[in-house]
Amino acid sequence: MDEEHELLINPVVQESVLHNTKTISDLRSLLSSLLGIAAGTLGLESYAGFIFYFVMSAFTSLLMGVFLAGGKPKEYFRGGWWDLLSSDLIGGLAGYVLTWTLFLGLVGV
Amino acid sequence: MAQPQGQMILRDPALFYWILIPITVVMVLTGILRHYATILLQSTPKKQDLKAIRQQHNLLRGVNLRTNGNHISLDSMVSRKNFLVQQYQSGAYLKNPEAVGQPPVNPMTDPAGMDQMMNMVKGNMAMIVPQTLIMGWINAFFSGFVILKLPFPLTIRFKSMLQSGVNTRDLDVRWVSSLSWYFLNLFGLRPVFTYILGNDNAADQMSQQMQQMNPGSTANMFGPGQDPNKMYLAEAENLEVAAGQHEYVLEGIEDRMRALV
Repeated sequence: MDEEHELLINPVVQESVLHNTKTISDLRSLLSSLLGIAAGTLGLESYAGFIFYFVMSAFTSLLMGVFLAGGKPKEYFRGGWWDLLSSDLIGGLAGYVLTWTLFLGLVGV
Repeated sequence: MAQPQGQMILRDPALFYWILIPITVVMVLTGILRHYATILLQSTPKKQDLKAIRQQHNLLRGVNLRTNGNHISLDSMVSRKNFLVQQYQSGAYLKNPEAVGQPPVNPMTDPAGMDQMMNMVKGNMAMIVPQTLIMGWINAFFSGFVILKLPFPLTIRFKSMLQSGVNTRDLDVRWVSSLSWYFLNLFGLRPVFTYILGNDNAADQMSQQMQQMNPGSTANMFGPGQDPNKMYLAEAENLEVAAGQHEYVLEGIEDRMRALV
């Protein structure tokens, strides 16, 4: 009953949630391609490459939380920091692998 | 023959310009083409007559009252609820009052249902045809050699799939043929499409597949196969229950406001 009461007083508006999720999604798609370019140029191989992706992703989520959400992501997302970190990681991974492979081949055999 | 630092094959750099980039460019262009073709191919929604629209909207009115009933005072909600329940139970908004009690309409014969199914079929065709064409084109022109080195190792089983046409025993699985570049592009160009075409673009394969798996989320509420009378009666019961649990949002507002200041 308490959670319902909470929801009554501070309702979760569907359009706002959608807009916030879309913002993160857009940023993450762009980010994955650019990170792939960076990894390919640096010449990273298997494990190092994946770790690079996750670490840089987390770093950018941190930046998003601080600058875009004003340091308080709980007000913008129901899951707080976890939502910022983990939304759309797998889709981003595909884009990352694509540009990573391309630039690894382009830069040096 | 196993060298510890991995096998290297010297490649002509012209290979990249003639193979990798053209495949990517073709896939991006077909994606954009498919997006616009899907938009153009969709038939305009059929105009419904007044009674059908009235039927649909009054049910939505009941649902809205139930969801947002806590924002209005108890008296208002009860009077609205009484009016709606009485209307529902007397069947005042039904499209064909004499069809009460008959089995629901078969989706195959109802014209509104056909429209929805045709749209789905057209969407599917627009997705499958370009993929098949491109795969055939790649197999015709770009087969029989390895082009690219994957950044990460894979198991032996993937060899036959990714190195189609080059059957050597010792070649690392990391060297792949151009067909696997096609697959990489297929999955990896989704972020690019999202960035170029906006959020709900038709070139996005996975979101379309997910939409097909939950048909209930996008289906029309009064589409074929539903009995409007039963839905009205069910909604009337729901309204009765909701009125019993009414909790006015503005109760205790004075304390809350004082706490904010």
